[in-house]
Amino acid sequence: MDYEFPDGLKYATTHEWIRIENSIATVGITDYAQHQFGDIVFVELPEVGMVFEKGSNAAEIESVKAVGDLIMPLSGEIIGVNQNLAGTPELVNSSPFVDGWMIKLAFSHASEIDELLSVDKYKQIIQNEEH
Amino acid sequence: MISNIQLIFDKENEGNQQNFVPKMDIDQTELDEILQASLLRKDLPIPNIPEINIVRHFIRLSNKNYGVDTGIYPLGSCTMKYNPKVNETIVKLPGFTRIHPLQEENQGCLGLLYHISKQLGEITGMDGFTLQPAAGAHGELVGLLIIKKYFESKGIKKQKIIVPDSAHGTNPASAKMAGFSIIELISNEFGEIPLDQLEFAMQDGDVAGIMLTNPNTLGVFDRQIKEITRIVHENGGLCYYDGANLNPMLGICRPRDMGFDIVHLNLHKTFSTPHGGGGPGSGPIGVVKELIPFLPIPCLISTENGIVCREIDNKSIGRIKAFWGNFGVIVRAYAYILALGSEGLKKVGQIAVLNANYLRILLQQKYILPYNRICQHEFVLSDQGIPNDITTEDIAKRILDYGIYAPTIYFPLIVPGALMIEPTETESKQSLDYFIEVMNKIYEETKQNPELLKNAPQNMPVKRLDAVLAARKPILHD
Amino acid sequence: MDFIPHNDKTIAEMLDVIGVKSLQELFQDIPKDLIIEKLNLPSGLSEPDLLKQFEKITQKNKVYSSSFLGGGCYNHYIPSLVDFVTSRSEFYTSYTPYQAEASQGYLQAIYEYQTIISRLTQMDVANASMYDGSTALAEAAIMSTIITRKDTIILFKGIHPEYEEVVKTYCWGQNINIVYASEDNLIEKLNGNVAALLFQSPNFFGDIEDISKFAKNIREIAPNCLIIQAMTDPTCLGILNPPGLTDIDIFVAEGQSFGLGLSFGGPGLGIFTAKQKYLRKMPGRLIGKTTEINGEKTGFILTLQAREQHIRREKASSNICTNQALCALATLTYLLALGRTGLKEVATQNIQKAHYVKKELSKIPGYEILNKKPTYNEFLVKCPNIDSLINLCKQRDLQPPLKISSYYPEMKDIALVCVTEMNSKNSIDTFLEIARIVSNNKTEGE
Repeated sequence: MDYEFPDGLKYATTHEWIRIENSIATVGITDYAQHQFGDIVFVELPEVGMVFEKGSNAAEIESVKAVGDLIMPLSGEIIGVNQNLAGTPELVNSSPFVDGWMIKLAFSHASEIDELLSVDKYKQIIQNEEH
Repeated sequence: MISNIQLIFDKENEGNQQNFVPKMDIDQTELDEILQASLLRKDLPIPNIPEINIVRHFIRLSNKNYGVDTGIYPLGSCTMKYNPKVNETIVKLPGFTRIHPLQEENQGCLGLLYHISKQLGEITGMDGFTLQPAAGAHGELVGLLIIKKYFESKGIKKQKIIVPDSAHGTNPASAKMAGFSIIELISNEFGEIPLDQLEFAMQDGDVAGIMLTNPNTLGVFDRQIKEITRIVHENGGLCYYDGANLNPMLGICRPRDMGFDIVHLNLHKTFSTPHGGGGPGSGPIGVVKELIPFLPIPCLISTENGIVCREIDNKSIGRIKAFWGNFGVIVRAYAYILALGSEGLKKVGQIAVLNANYLRILLQQKYILPYNRICQHEFVLSDQGIPNDITTEDIAKRILDYGIYAPTIYFPLIVPGALMIEPTETESKQSLDYFIEVMNKIYEETKQNPELLKNAPQNMPVKRLDAVLAARKPILHD
Repeated sequence: MDFIPHNDKTIAEMLDVIGVKSLQELFQDIPKDLIIEKLNLPSGLSEPDLLKQFEKITQKNKVYSSSFLGGGCYNHYIPSLVDFVTSRSEFYTSYTPYQAEASQGYLQAIYEYQTIISRLTQMDVANASMYDGSTALAEAAIMSTIITRKDTIILFKGIHPEYEEVVKTYCWGQNINIVYASEDNLIEKLNGNVAALLFQSPNFFGDIEDISKFAKNIREIAPNCLIIQAMTDPTCLGILNPPGLTDIDIFVAEGQSFGLGLSFGGPGLGIFTAKQKYLRKMPGRLIGKTTEINGEKTGFILTLQAREQHIRREKASSNICTNQALCALATLTYLLALGRTGLKEVATQNIQKAHYVKKELSKIPGYEILNKKPTYNEFLVKCPNIDSLINLCKQRDLQPPLKISSYYPEMKDIALVCVTEMNSKNSIDTFLEIARIVSNNKTEGE
C-alpha cells in the first residue's frame, strides 16, 4: 500500500513522526499508523507542563477496535497539545501530518535527535511489518 | 420485521399512575418534621405510563431480539445451550425468592450451596469451592487473588502470570487487577503451548503461575497438558484453569487430573443458566486442598447443627461480593446437575464434541480452517481465501439475514478474520444442517453477489450501524 | 433427563460423516489416563421428581408473612409486569448484544435503563450496570485512583460492612491504601494523596448523611479527591435530593430494591453513575445511540469498547465483561411500572412507616432510638432484650430486625429495624405489641 511521507520529518520505530523547529519538536502518528488504527475515535492528550522521558507513553489513541499509545520520541516537557482533537479526533485520519498533530514538546536532550530514523529507514520498518 | 420503536420516554406514553403500592394505612407526620427541606428532591423526571403501553413496548422490543429460544446461536466460547424451562419454575419458588440473605432459617439455601459445591468438586476434581463470584471474570479475579495471597503467606513475592496469546481477554485484565504483570506465550501451529518457551518463561523466578483454557480457544485439547502443569509446578508456580471451555470435558476428564490447582466455572455456559443478555452469571472457583484456606468468605461447612459458615481464616483473601453470590443463578445450575445426573453430564460432553466436529467436517469443504485437527467444543474458520475483499464481518452480517445468529468474530486474535463456531450439544442435526446450508449459500454469494454481503444485513430492523460515530460522539441516554 | 435432541441413529450418522467409529474416538487428543469412567454423581431426575426435590429444599427455608429485616436487602413490592417482561425468552436466552442488528430490542432496553437511571440520580452518565452494589463501590474506588493517580482512599463510617470488606479486598489486589474516617476526624485524614472519599447515604445504620458540609474542606485540602456515594436502597430517591445535584463525582447503588426480590441476596444490580468528565475512565459496558452507516434510521450499539478488557487486555482498568443485563431490564420495568407517582409514593410510605415505628418504639420504656440524623426506612434501636424480641417476632410470623452485633460485636442489644411499604398497619401493630411485651417482661424481671 502507498503511504504519505512528507519532507523534512524524522521518525520513530513506534510510528511517530517528529518535526524539529528550533528547540521545539511537534509530534504525531504517521499515515501508516493511522491506517493500522482505522477510524480514530478518541485521543487522550497529556497536560501542558508534564515532563516525560523518551519512550514513555504520552498520549492514548483509541479506534473502535484498538487502543494504542503515542510514545515520546524525545525526552522533554509538553508545551502544547492539539486541542482540536478533543472534538474532531478524525483529523488524525484525514491529516496525520498537519491538522492531526498531537503534542509539541521542548526537548531536553538534543543528542536524542540523532537516534531518530530517516524517512528511508522508517520505510524499511514498514516494509518489514507488512510482510 | 418491525421498523424503529419509539423510546418509552416519548411524551405520547404519558398517562395515568399505576397501582403498585399498598394503600397507606398509618397516620402520617408532616415531612418537614422528619427531614429538612434541603434534603428533598424537587423534580422526578420519570414518566407515568399506562401498564398496557409498557407491555406493548417490551413485546415490540422482544420481537427485535434473538435468543437461544429463537434459533441456533453458534457463538464460540459462549456455550449458548438450551436453558431448561423447569429451572425457571424452580427459581421462582417463594421458598427462594422470599428468603432474605441475613435471615436465620436458611438451611434450604445453605444446604443447596453446600451440595452444589460438592457436585462441582466431583465434576472438576477440586477439593473446595466458593460460589461467591458473580461472573467468569469475577471468578478469575478471585482465583488470581488466591494465587497472590498464597505466595504472600509463604513470604515469596511473585509478580508475573503467564497467559498464552490465544487466551480470553479477561485473563490478562484479571491478572492485572490482582496486581500481576503478564508474560504472553505464543502458541504453536496447533494452538498448543510450546514446552520450550514455557520452560524458558518459568526460569524467570518471578512467575506465580499460568492461566490456561483447555480445550483452548481454537477448540483444541492441548495434548501435552500434563507436561505443561508439571513444568509450572516444578518451577514453583500454580496452574489456573479458565473453565469457559469446560462443556466438552463434562464427564470425560477433569481439570484437577490435568494438573490444575484452581479452576473457574461459568454456570451460565456449562450449566445451562440463561445468559440473560449478558448477565447475571456466576463464576464459582474450585481449588485444591492446599488452597482452601485462601478462599473468600463466607465459606460453608457441614456440622451437627447443619450447614454453617466456617470461622474466618486469616489466610482468606476476604470478601469479594456482598451476601451469597448470585444465588438465583446457582439454583438453576443445581437443578441442571440434578436433572442430568452422571450419565446426562457425560452425554453433554460427548454430544457437544460430536456436533462441533460434524460442523467442522462439513464447513471446511468450502471455508479455510487454519488449525485443522479434531476439535472439542468449537473450531475456528478464517476469512482468508474468500474472494472480492469479503471480510468476516460481512459474512457474520449476512448470516443474520438468514434468521440465525452469527458466530463469534475476530477472536481468537491468532486467527486472521476468525469465525469461531460452537454449536453446543442441544442443537439438533436439522438445525446444524440448516446452518451448514446457510454457510454454503453465503459462500456462493461471496463469489457471485459480493454486494449482498457488503450491504448485509438487509432483513434486520436496522442496517449496519455506525460504531465510529457512536464512539466519537457518545449519546448514552435521552 | 437430558436436553439432547439426537437419537442413536442420528448419532451414528453423524459419526459416519466425521469419519470416526465411536464417540470415544472424538477424544483421541486426550491422554488415556486422563479419561474418567464416570462421575460419581446420582442418576438424573425426571421433571416431576426434580420439582419434588426442590419443594423439600424450600421447606427448609422459612417464608415470613411480614419482615422488619433490611441491612442491604429490602422487601419491596414487585409488579407482576416485571416478571412478565424478564420472562420473555427473546431477552433472557440471548447473549451480550455483539451483533447489534439482531439485538436492537435489548440494546434499546438497556439504553432506556441508562436513561432512567441518569434521570433518577441526575448524574451525567450511567453505565449498563455492574454485578452488585458492593462490587460497584469497589470498582469506583479503583476508578478514582486511576483518574487521580493517587493511591489512598478514605472509607467514611457507616458503609455497609460487607461492602467495606469487598472494597478492602479489591484495593489489596492493587496496593491501594485504605484509611478509615468518621465525622470527627475526617478533616485530619484528608491530604493530597487521597484519591477518593467513599461514604454511604442513607448509611448502614439508617442515617441520611449530608456530605455537603464537608465538600468545601475536601476541595481545599485534597483538591483531586473524588467524592463517591454508595446507597443500598435507592427507592429513597423517590423523595430525596438526587446525588447529581450535590457534590458527588461517582454514585453507585444496589438496585435490588427495584424489582429483583430478596432471592437470598443475589443476583443484584450494581448501579454505576459518574460525572461526564470521567466517562472514559468508567468500567463496564455502555450502550450508545447512533445511526446506520448507509441509512437514516437510528439504532443502538455497544460503544466506547476500547475501554474494555477484550480490546485493552492487560491495560484495561477493569476486567468486567458482563453487566447484569436481565436485572437492569427488571429495574427499568420496575421504575416504569411505578412511574413518578408510584416511586414518590413508595418512598413516602417507607419514610412515614419507619418514622411511625420509630416514634412509637421510643415511647416504650427501655427502647432508645440511636440515630441523631434523619433516617429513611431503617434505624437503630437499643432494646431491653433483643433475643426475646427476636424470638417473639418469629413466633408471630414476623421476620425480626437485624441484630447488629452480628456485624459489630461491641454493639450489644441493638436492632437495625427496617420498615417498608410492605409492612401493613397490622404487622406494625404486632411488632409494637411484641416490643411492649419485651419491655414489660424486663421491667417485671427487675
